[in-house]
Amino acid sequence: MGREARVVMEDGARLMERVRAGDGGAFERLYDSYHRLVFGIALRMLGDATMAEDLTQSVFLKVWSSPDAFRYGNFGAWIARVARNRSLDVLRSRSLRDESEIPVDLAEPGALDDVVFTRLDSERVRRALAALPDEQRSPIEMGFFGGITHDEIAKRTGIPLGTIKTRIRTGLRKLRVELDGAVSR
Amino acid sequence: MNGSAEHEAMLDLVAVAALGSLPTADLRIVTLHLATCAECRAEYDALRPAASAVGLIAEEPVDTLRSARMKKRLLAAIAPTANARRAASAPGGLIWASSIVAAAAVVFALVSTVQDIHLRSDLANAQRTTSQLQTRVAETQRTNENERDMLADLFAANAKRYTVADGEVVARGSHVYFALHTLPALPKGKVYQAWTLAKGAKTVAPSVTFTPNASGSAIVQLPADATALAAVALTVEPEGGSKTPTSKPSFIQPLS
Repeated sequence: MGREARVVMEDGARLMERVRAGDGGAFERLYDSYHRLVFGIALRMLGDATMAEDLTQSVFLKVWSSPDAFRYGNFGAWIARVARNRSLDVLRSRSLRDESEIPVDLAEPGALDDVVFTRLDSERVRRALAALPDEQRSPIEMGFFGGITHDEIAKRTGIPLGTIKTRIRTGLRKLRVELDGAVSR
Repeated sequence: MNGSAEHEAMLDLVAVAALGSLPTADLRIVTLHLATCAECRAEYDALRPAASAVGLIAEEPVDTLRSARMKKRLLAAIAPTANARRAASAPGGLIWASSIVAAAAVVFALVSTVQDIHLRSDLANAQRTTSQLQTRVAETQRTNENERDMLADLFAANAKRYTVADGEVVARGSHVYFALHTLPALPKGKVYQAWTLAKGAKTVAPSVTFTPNASGSAIVQLPADATALAAVALTVEPEGGSKTPTSKPSFIQPLS
C-alpha cells in the first residue's frame, strides 16, 4: 500500500445524498474518493488490471443509475461489498474458476453492516486485521478477496474444513471487538 | 439444537456466511436456520459488519494515467443522463440549452459513425465477442440478483412462516416459497409438485415440480402472487407433473 492509498475518503453517505439529486460534481468527488477501493478489490479478485478497470466503471455506473441502492451508513463498506459481488459475478460468468469454488453472498438492503461502523476508516481496519494471528487473518482475507468458498480455502491450505470455519469465526469475533474499540475511541 | 456440538458447527457456518464465502447450497441452509434461531441471527448480525469492514483494506494506488482514463470514460458515460437530470429540474431556458447540446451530440455521433464505417467492419468480430460476454455477465448478474432477492425474502423478519410437515412455507409480499428440509426420497420416475388454490377458487391449480437434493432439502419459489392465494399444497406426481393431484398431499397449508 503506497501513500496514495491512504487518501482520506470523503463522507460517501453525504455525497450520495447529492448524487441522488443528480449532482454530477458530487458523483465526481465520490469517484475520486472511492475508485481506488473499488479498483483494489476488483484487482485482487480478478487479477487483471483491465478487467478491474471495467468493473470499476460498471460499479460507479450502477451507483449513478441506482443511487437509492445505498440507503445509509458506511458507504465504503457498502461499495466494497458491491465491488466484491460484481467481481464474483464476473468470475462466474467468464468461467474464470470452477463454479463450485465461487461463493454466493447474501445482500441485505439496510443491513446492520451499513450502519454499525459509519466512522470506520481503512487504516483502523488494517491495524485490527494485523492484530489477528496469521491463522485467523489469512482465511478471512482469502474468503473475502479470494472469491473462493470455505471448502476451497481448506483445500488450498491443506487445513481441515472444520478448523477453517472455526478460525474464521474466532477471527471475525476478535475483529468485531477491535473495531468496536476503534469506533468508540 | 441450542448448546449442542451441532449448534456450534452451525455458528461456525454462520460466520462464514457473514464473510460471504459459502457456496449456494450451504448458504440456503444457513438462511433457513437464521430465520428461526435468534442466537445464530445475533451472531450473524454481530459478525457481518466486521466482515464487511475487511473490504476497506483493499484500497490500492491507481496510476495517474489509468485513473484519468477511467474517470474520463465514466464521466462521458453518465453525461447524457446527467444532462437529462439537470434538464428535468431546470427552468425552460436550460431545457433548450441542454436539448441543443444533446442534438449536437447526436449529430456528432452520426458523423463519427459514417467516418468509422470502414473500421467497423474490421472490428465486427471483436464487438460480437464483447457483446456475447456482456450478455453472459448480464445474465449471470440477473440470476444472482434473483437468488439474493429470494434469500432476502426467506431471511426477512417480516416474512410469514407456516410450519408444515417437511419444513416451512414462507410468504413475503407477493412471493411464496417452499423451504423444505426433511423431504422423503422420491420413487423412481416421480417428482414433487406444488399446487395453489386461488382465493375464491374451488379447485387447485398445478404449480412447479421439483426434486430435493440428496439430504431432502429444497427451496422453491412458486410462480404465483401470494396475496391472491388461499392455500398451497404439495404432492408426489409422475415426472412432468400432473394437471390434477394424483396422490395424497404431503401438506395443505392455508395462507392467512
